[in-house]
Amino acid sequence: MGALAGNAYVELNFRPNVQLVSVVRRFVSEFYQRTLGDPDGSSRVALATHELLENAVKYSKDGETTIRIEISTTGAPREVTIMLRNRAEESHIAAISAIVDGVAAAKDAFAYYQQLLHAKAKHREGSGLGLARICAEGEMKIAYTVNDDTVELLATTHVAEAT
Amino acid sequence: MTAKVITVKCDDFDGDASHDGGVMSVRVTGTADYAAVDALEQFLDEVHDESMRSNVKQTTVDLRQLEFMNSSCFKCLISWITILQELPPSAQYKVMFISNPKMHWQKRSLHSLRCFAEDLISVSE
Repeated sequence: MGALAGNAYVELNFRPNVQLVSVVRRFVSEFYQRTLGDPDGSSRVALATHELLENAVKYSKDGETTIRIEISTTGAPREVTIMLRNRAEESHIAAISAIVDGVAAAKDAFAYYQQLLHAKAKHREGSGLGLARICAEGEMKIAYTVNDDTVELLATTHVAEAT
Repeated sequence: MTAKVITVKCDDFDGDASHDGGVMSVRVTGTADYAAVDALEQFLDEVHDESMRSNVKQTTVDLRQLEFMNSSCFKCLISWITILQELPPSAQYKVMFISNPKMHWQKRSLHSLRCFAEDLISVSE
């Protein structure tokens, strides 16, 4: 954890297992609460962190995952950026593309999420909801880049100053 | 007389359900994450079966001590409500979620759930 050029950040490079995701969420929740102050904003980005991490842990090709969380501490509202990078199978990268592109094309992230809830309600395997939930309930924007078999997800949002 | 019907425990997730006077009372606590998905799915199946068998008119789900729910567990709720929606209206029961205002994710997730099935779901604090 540290501060560079006015920004606070935390970066973890680790080989997580799924049991550790909630541990990491609690750790970064404390970081968010102390840095952002705003309880609702902290909750939004903690939810996003959990969903992104679980996604990476479940689908990482080699188990390695890098997460970097950065919060601009100057100006208001503050920008929070969560970057997650891991190697993934082609099918998983395609699934990420479908969801992220779907949300981006939709005029309303919440309406898109509701459509997805109806579509996925009877699917037994996986939820397929995590990324859309980040956009709808977490009010975050998601983008991705792919380089060979490495996918990098970038989730961003603004959090108001705590009153 | 209160009937204790179902319990679930999985890592950091616990739940129990009992019914009395036509109301099924469900309580879940801890963390509903990846490790809890299968247990929650089975628990809700049993809650639904018992609710139907006992002909309850309302089920309350107390989330006040639930620290977090991931999207896979949230989908279990969606699947349960979808099964309920597909029943004839005379066989349906209402579901009321009791939330903790200090758990800010609950307000957002329960709003999503309520929009999913406004006629069946209500939320209280």
